[in-house]
Amino acid sequence: MLLELKNVTVPTFDREHIIVEDISFGVKEGSIHAIIGPNGSGKSSLAYAIMGLHTYQLSQGKIFFEGKNITELGVTERAQLGITLAWQEPARIDGLSVLKYLSLGMKDKANIKEQAIDALKTVNLDPEKYINRYIDESLSGGERKRIELAATIAMRPKLIILDEPDSGLDMIVIEDFLNIFNKIRKLKMTILLITHREDIGMVADYGTLLWQGKALITDEFAEVMLRFCAKAGLKEFCKRTLFQNEKTCFGEDYIDKIFEEERNS
Amino acid sequence: MSKEQYPDEILQSLEDYNIDIKDFLPGHGKGAKLLLDFNKISGVEEMKGVVLKGREIENGIVADVIIKEGAVIEEPVHLCFGVKKQSGIQQIFPRIIAEDNSEVTVRAHCSFPNADGLVHKMFGHFYIGNNCKFTYSETHYHGEKSGALVAPVSYMYIGENSIYENNFNLTQGTPGRVKIMLDIYAMKNSVIRSNIKAFGKGKGDSIRIRDSVFLEGENARSVIKMKAAAKDGGEVLMYGITEGNAKYCNGHVECQEIVLGKGSTCRARPFIRAIDSTSTVSHEASLGRFPQKWLDELQAKGLSEEEATDILVEAMLKEE
Repeated sequence: MLLELKNVTVPTFDREHIIVEDISFGVKEGSIHAIIGPNGSGKSSLAYAIMGLHTYQLSQGKIFFEGKNITELGVTERAQLGITLAWQEPARIDGLSVLKYLSLGMKDKANIKEQAIDALKTVNLDPEKYINRYIDESLSGGERKRIELAATIAMRPKLIILDEPDSGLDMIVIEDFLNIFNKIRKLKMTILLITHREDIGMVADYGTLLWQGKALITDEFAEVMLRFCAKAGLKEFCKRTLFQNEKTCFGEDYIDKIFEEERNS
Repeated sequence: MSKEQYPDEILQSLEDYNIDIKDFLPGHGKGAKLLLDFNKISGVEEMKGVVLKGREIENGIVADVIIKEGAVIEEPVHLCFGVKKQSGIQQIFPRIIAEDNSEVTVRAHCSFPNADGLVHKMFGHFYIGNNCKFTYSETHYHGEKSGALVAPVSYMYIGENSIYENNFNLTQGTPGRVKIMLDIYAMKNSVIRSNIKAFGKGKGDSIRIRDSVFLEGENARSVIKMKAAAKDGGEVLMYGITEGNAKYCNGHVECQEIVLGKGSTCRARPFIRAIDSTSTVSHEASLGRFPQKWLDELQAKGLSEEEATDILVEAMLKEE
């Protein structure tokens, strides 16, 4: 496993409440692993805890990266080991150019411009149009998200955590993002994808379902999605989406069985 | 006027601060210029639509910069107030007038590369007519010694339907003691953007800036952005003032100050006022360190907190 969480509990900053509790799962190297769950289930908090943000410290459990215990490491150290995070709503910073921003995490400081151009192309942005702009309010939400993604790709990390890359984007853009994920996969980077959308999640190989702060299942993504639908009582939606998807081959009987199990539980 | 007539030391100091001066050199570039060597007018280059007149007085000069009615000046007008001496008093009394329907950018460079006890004072009057687009950018360089005592005061009248942008930069070298007061009076439908950036780097640096916008005309709008950093004992105090004194006016004051190192102090005193139920005036201020989220975002790229802070300071204080 590239990343492994063992019995991870993340409390609120004041430690009065638990956000996610006793989470254990692993992320295989080279895979796309989605964490799905409804709003408020703790997906983003878990992502921040994996990244090591100061305000999301574990109250119990351990996190391993390439077999090394990184639980006590800060954000910088984790990033230097090869973990990074593309933020759901990345900040806009006056005076910081796209080129400079993309260069921040580059390991190879030679040919910075060429690397930045490559990263912009990977996220389907025209380098000529963007490289000298600033990451300020002149960028739309979608443009800023792509530049964030480009900055993480330019780092050549081993693991990219994508926190709700689909939020606030329209359908046409989402189609484009799915295409970008496949490009990242070809660069041999592992993706931990935080999402609550099944169409985005369908690019994933594996998944973990978070429900009210607990990890209910970790399995192949379609199986996880089926459990999600059963938990949420979305049978028609489930049949529509999972039947239509070529990655899944659930029979109607199997879907009925899972929903029945969920009802009984 | 030739290049030789202007002190190399001052030109060099601009180059040292990565300012592309080739168009500002005497005899170069198309733009109009007024160049000062301490209290001596060492060069004036006018152009069609731009009148530049200066007169030397004791310890300074009186100058008129007039942009003629309807003139659209593409090349920036350059004002260079250079002093190569360490000390002395330089007083500037400029009147800057943009007649109706004119457009221009005026760039002033106050370069004091050897300043060590130098006093620079300015008492300026700006009159911007109706339907104008006027940008005034003033950049200061006070050398690397003890800096200068700099005390400019400016009153600015911005006419109806005009757009006025004010940029003040004091981010490189050692500032010294700086006290700046700007009063901007905005008439009907005018738009004001004022950007102030300053960096106090040591114990001897004290920067106090009062930037005031009075929205006097209906539908006048303004944004004041004040950004500063104080390092290793430096002190910065920013007063951002906006008064909405007319109907449907809209003003905002934004102040961000970063404290770096020990003994540094940043203070902000926004003052806002509205006297009409149709107007909106707002302010936001943050002092101390950068938002944690910004630091997290950069640290997630592998930077240490110190490196991330340096990058953010550099970006924040980048000249407009």
